[in-house]
Amino acid sequence: MTAGAPEDSDGADLVDRVADGALGWLDARRDRFRLPADIAEPGVDVDRTLKPLGELAELAGLIASVHPRPELRARAEGLFAFAWAQTVDGGVFAELLRAEPHATYPVEIYGVFARAGLRHPDTDALVDALTRPLSWRVPRSDPTRSLGVLNAEDRTRGGASEAWQDDFAADYARTWLGLLPEPWALDRRAAYGLTHDVFHVTDWGRHRDRLPAEAAGYLRLWLPTWLDCWLDERSWDLAGELLAVAACVDVLDAAGSVDIAAAWRRLAAAQDADGGLPETGAEPRPADPAADFLACYHSTLVAAFAATLARTAPVPALVATEAAR
Amino acid sequence: MGIQHTKTDSAALAIEVESLVDSPEPDGIYHDTRECAGALLALGLLLIAPPTPRPKKPSRS
Amino acid sequence: MAGNADALRSVIADAASGVALALRGGGGPDAVSGILHPDNPFAPAAVRVLGADVLAPYALGHPPPTAEAGDAQSVRMALAAYPPGADASEVSVWSYGGLAEAARRFLPADGALPPVPDADMAWTGTDPWQRLAHRVSQLAALAVPGLADGLAANLAPRVDDLSRGFVRAVRRRDWLQAAGVGRWLARLPDVPETLGLDTGLVFVGRLGAADPRVDLHVAAAQRFFGRGR
Repeated sequence: MTAGAPEDSDGADLVDRVADGALGWLDARRDRFRLPADIAEPGVDVDRTLKPLGELAELAGLIASVHPRPELRARAEGLFAFAWAQTVDGGVFAELLRAEPHATYPVEIYGVFARAGLRHPDTDALVDALTRPLSWRVPRSDPTRSLGVLNAEDRTRGGASEAWQDDFAADYARTWLGLLPEPWALDRRAAYGLTHDVFHVTDWGRHRDRLPAEAAGYLRLWLPTWLDCWLDERSWDLAGELLAVAACVDVLDAAGSVDIAAAWRRLAAAQDADGGLPETGAEPRPADPAADFLACYHSTLVAAFAATLARTAPVPALVATEAAR
Repeated sequence: MGIQHTKTDSAALAIEVESLVDSPEPDGIYHDTRECAGALLALGLLLIAPPTPRPKKPSRS
Repeated sequence: MAGNADALRSVIADAASGVALALRGGGGPDAVSGILHPDNPFAPAAVRVLGADVLAPYALGHPPPTAEAGDAQSVRMALAAYPPGADASEVSVWSYGGLAEAARRFLPADGALPPVPDADMAWTGTDPWQRLAHRVSQLAALAVPGLADGLAANLAPRVDDLSRGFVRAVRRRDWLQAAGVGRWLARLPDVPETLGLDTGLVFVGRLGAADPRVDLHVAAAQRFFGRGR
């Protein structure tokens, strides 16, 4: 091990520290994920209420089911159960769907819980009725989002039909990952789309073999350069998502592997002592706790998620290059 | 500045030549693509994506 | 000295424009010869900076210049005035070597040309991809058919890494680096299809058009290797 490398015996310790710190930060702030009682009222900003809770549920649920360390799984399970309780055991979604019967987001977030076997009878009945019309099949303006909606449908209704598979394939073909365009043209917005293409196709890293070989090869080839740029920009949120993608495609070649280990060290160095990871290193974290939560919660969740995926698949690549440095 | 080269001039020119032949890499310039408000609104709630993007300054490494 | 530096940059820009024009078939190599006339006190320094590129138009099959031609004289002066010192960087040695090799190939033999120095090549195997791409871009003038064949052979196994460097340079808006790496990639086999080298070179050439050296590299990639069209 050369100077500058972290003092870990292997890369697993490093990524586990990131996950542990991040989950601790989130757990300590779980009250900030609480839904307001009037969540179904039109004036309530769902971007600051349901969206964070949905993200907490999606990622904590994944961590709870796949992280190799039991104490981290237990912490994530606690957060997932908290999120379900916040939805009044799924009843909130029925309320939301009655208020906004054409909205997809209640189905998308309910799908996170439905996937884990948590159901609410009223919500189930509404989802069944509301996702039947042809209108539900109209692709969203953004094909990546379409994939998310289709995943939600699969999670809530189950048994992906042939029509569903055709829709998924058609939408996938129009995404960045489906088209595999010039890697130098990827801007921030497209990069978020690309990472989510991977998350939807693999069901958040659970089924990495569902990534078409061409797409996996493309990602393996270009991830190092994207990581380099967004780490350079101190864009920790996007760098974390790219590291989660890197875990989904075993980065085998020597140069790429070294990059992934180095990228993890840079991300770990950006994580504050309290476990929080700001979305960007461009400005200091806000002093106001509410603003700080908004500035950090997403990237902190993503860090825990990426650190979990890194521990559940190509860890050998990470460990081997740590040792080889 | 004349045509004649003093010794200092040529030494300085040689340094300049070397710095042009082997110039350091400039800092990266990163600009985000801006989106028209209409396009952003049309997307509605961006599930599992970062909070509303903030305007970014070009960052230096 | 700021005045000298500006004057040198201006001669470099003019000469790069002349070479790009010649590579595109607008006028023969003579245009460059006029710009780089030894009467211009900055011509030898500009030749040293542009390196082998000042003679690149001759690689298209134009008859070689006479020994008295302006560019021929300036090349000989540059080789004599700016040899790499003992502590010269690898890039400096390689760039000088490229100029010396091009001079031996395209200028009339008169016995006065210095030998091509031995240059270290270990970095082509050991540089991390970011550093490799930057170095290679600084040696873009060596990406001419038949020139620096050994370097080309050593870079071939790192075509993926150089492609990553191209992507990185474009994202950083370092057009000169992108054009230089892109020019080398145009020469190398097995460039990843998904890189989009052709559209990438056009993109870089357009956005980096303010720098004649960017234009020169794109013109070389097009003319010598048929990429970027």
